[in-house]
Amino acid sequence: MSTAFRITQRSVAQRTNSNLQYALSRLAKTQEQLSSGRLISRPSDSPVGTVSALRFRAEIRQTEQFARNADDGLAWLGNADRMLTSSLDQVRRARELTLQGANGSAGPDARNAIALEIEAIRDSLLGIANSQHAGRPLFGGTGEATRPYAPDGSYIADPPGPVVVARAVAPGESVRINITGPEVFGPEGANLFDVLTQIADDLRNDPAGLAGGMNALDERMRGITDALGDIGARTNRLEVMRDRAVDQIGALKHNLSEVEDIDLPATIMDLQLQETAYKAALSATARVLQPSLVDFLR
Amino acid sequence: MSSMSALTTALSALYAQRRGLDVTGHNIANANTDGYTRQRVEFSANAGPTSPAVFSRWTGVGQGVDVAGISRLRDAFLELRSNTEHGVLGELGTRQQILARIELGFGEPSDLGLAAQLNDFYAGWGDIANNPTDLAARRSLLERAGTLTSNIRSSARNLDALRSDLVGQVRAQVDEVNDLARAIAELNHGIVTNTNAGLAPVDLLDQRDLLVSRLAGMMGVTTKPAPGGAVDVFVGGTALVRGSVAEGLRVVDTPAGDDSRRTVSLAWSKDGYPATVSGGTLGGLMAGANDIIDGPDGYLAKLDAFALSLRDMINAAHAEGKDLYGDGPTIDFFTGTGAADIALSSEYLTDPRLLAAAAADGGHADGGNALVIAGFASRADGPDLLYRGMIVELGVQTQTVNRRYAIQHEVTRQVDAARDAQAGVNLDEEMTNMLAYQRAYEAAARFMTTVDQLLDRLVNATGLVGR
Repeated sequence: MSTAFRITQRSVAQRTNSNLQYALSRLAKTQEQLSSGRLISRPSDSPVGTVSALRFRAEIRQTEQFARNADDGLAWLGNADRMLTSSLDQVRRARELTLQGANGSAGPDARNAIALEIEAIRDSLLGIANSQHAGRPLFGGTGEATRPYAPDGSYIADPPGPVVVARAVAPGESVRINITGPEVFGPEGANLFDVLTQIADDLRNDPAGLAGGMNALDERMRGITDALGDIGARTNRLEVMRDRAVDQIGALKHNLSEVEDIDLPATIMDLQLQETAYKAALSATARVLQPSLVDFLR
Repeated sequence: MSSMSALTTALSALYAQRRGLDVTGHNIANANTDGYTRQRVEFSANAGPTSPAVFSRWTGVGQGVDVAGISRLRDAFLELRSNTEHGVLGELGTRQQILARIELGFGEPSDLGLAAQLNDFYAGWGDIANNPTDLAARRSLLERAGTLTSNIRSSARNLDALRSDLVGQVRAQVDEVNDLARAIAELNHGIVTNTNAGLAPVDLLDQRDLLVSRLAGMMGVTTKPAPGGAVDVFVGGTALVRGSVAEGLRVVDTPAGDDSRRTVSLAWSKDGYPATVSGGTLGGLMAGANDIIDGPDGYLAKLDAFALSLRDMINAAHAEGKDLYGDGPTIDFFTGTGAADIALSSEYLTDPRLLAAAAADGGHADGGNALVIAGFASRADGPDLLYRGMIVELGVQTQTVNRRYAIQHEVTRQVDAARDAQAGVNLDEEMTNMLAYQRAYEAAARFMTTVDQLLDRLVNATGLVGR
């Protein structure tokens, strides 16, 4: 392009300067990418990539929170599961004892002894119903009371209905992680503790009523088994959601890295090429700027 | 032609070649001077009389050489092109620097920018939803809300400081423009005086043109030649320099009104009439302060919109809930009227129980409202979108300016190369000229010796027969 021009030493020097500047700035950019490991260090490096990077980061943070939520929920459900399994064993023992008591061969003393053991089981079950997880009652909903069941076996949590406590595990998706006392132990007035109190009373005073007590106890046992099944199903769901969240975090991090991080071999290759180009420019400069007519005149 | 007049011819040649050598020396001396135009001695052969006389005789041989003048070898059209291109380059370069500083201020994309802090803020609500009665989770959220708002405020402060910086630069550059205008007017005066005295003020012209091109890089100017070699300089149609008279400009910094933002503009010192300036570094600085940072579409306005959207969204959602005392909140979560003063209400820091984590119909330990706010993280609209949009626009804008700057840089370089090719000093050429003048000088001296010997022979060696 410049062959038509007259060329002067100064314009050669200036052009050389600006060319060297350009080569050096490209070298610096590649060097920056290589040392920071990042392809995008400011929005103008790639506006589209920047949006993706911002989105991926937001999604990673959110999905991490979902995984935390799911872990927290799993701890709740696991605790509830352990408590209910243990309560089921005790209810079974109570049923055996009731059967023994209903058997006509047991005398009043024996029945009284059975009644005492059943009362002990009732108190132990009441302890389970009042158990806590991380400072909150496991079966108490969202009420203020830390012990949802009074010593007389009545449910005193507020609000009394089946309150839902849920954990968000995916955008717009949450899983219930609690179960309230009445849902497990039966409705007020006919709950497990009322049934056991009644059985103990019948053992002492009205053995004929024990058959009805047996039926009621069976029903409460079914209630606990159902609750356990429900908890198991929800545990499975939470585990699936947590695993999915963890997988997703991995995939998102991979995506983010694809957008934001350099391709190491390609960048090193680039650096080599630019370094060579820069060296070539320097050596050409050294040759072109040197000679002058002055050297050849005597 | 008499023998004596041959001596005069030789003398004229000695003078002329000496002059040629002088100018070559001057050219070499200024080979690296900015704005210097190479000079050339114009010779003309001194012919005989144009009208034949009655009594004098003329042999038809010329009378030596005359120095007709010294000319500047430059292309006025290329000068103008170069001035225009430098004006555009100056503006783009300034815009580029401003945008780069804004980009640096936001520091996106990273794990430390506002976007990441916003995500942390939402995640904090998620932790509260998991454990609504845990005061530690509440404190942790308040901590994050405090960090978020303080960073929004410091982003706004950075932009504001950048604007003040730009206004300061505008002031400094306007002072420089006024100095340049005065210097150009003075040089104009010198040029006209010299021209009228019959001298060729070539170096004054060079200096003047250099100042005009410096002025053109700072603001878009048009020039018009005036009598006597002077040049008039116009800014937006009004004369900044007319002959030997220079006008002045001053900076007008208008504060924000009820429904207008701050502006910085220029006015003529003589009558206060607004001056229209576009292009050049000054144009770039003013566009930076008035449009890029503080315009209706500027980044301060965008940051404000983001802050207000965040404030309104969170306040509205928070007001729906219920605190640990069982009451609905009476105090806004975020206060402030824009990005510059958005803050977390201090009441919540004093008593984290006041955070309305529970849904209005939920129990004491309910986390329904916190769950709703945590869910905003996946909302497609709202503050996140505004913020992302702002960052993307910043990226696109900067990228565009960077590209335009690179192109303009190349264009300017080529125009400058073409101009320098015309006006610059080529040392090889000067060396060749120097040789030519030196040889001519030597030959003229030899001619003079020859004529001298002829005269010597005639005066001292003739008529001596028989002596």
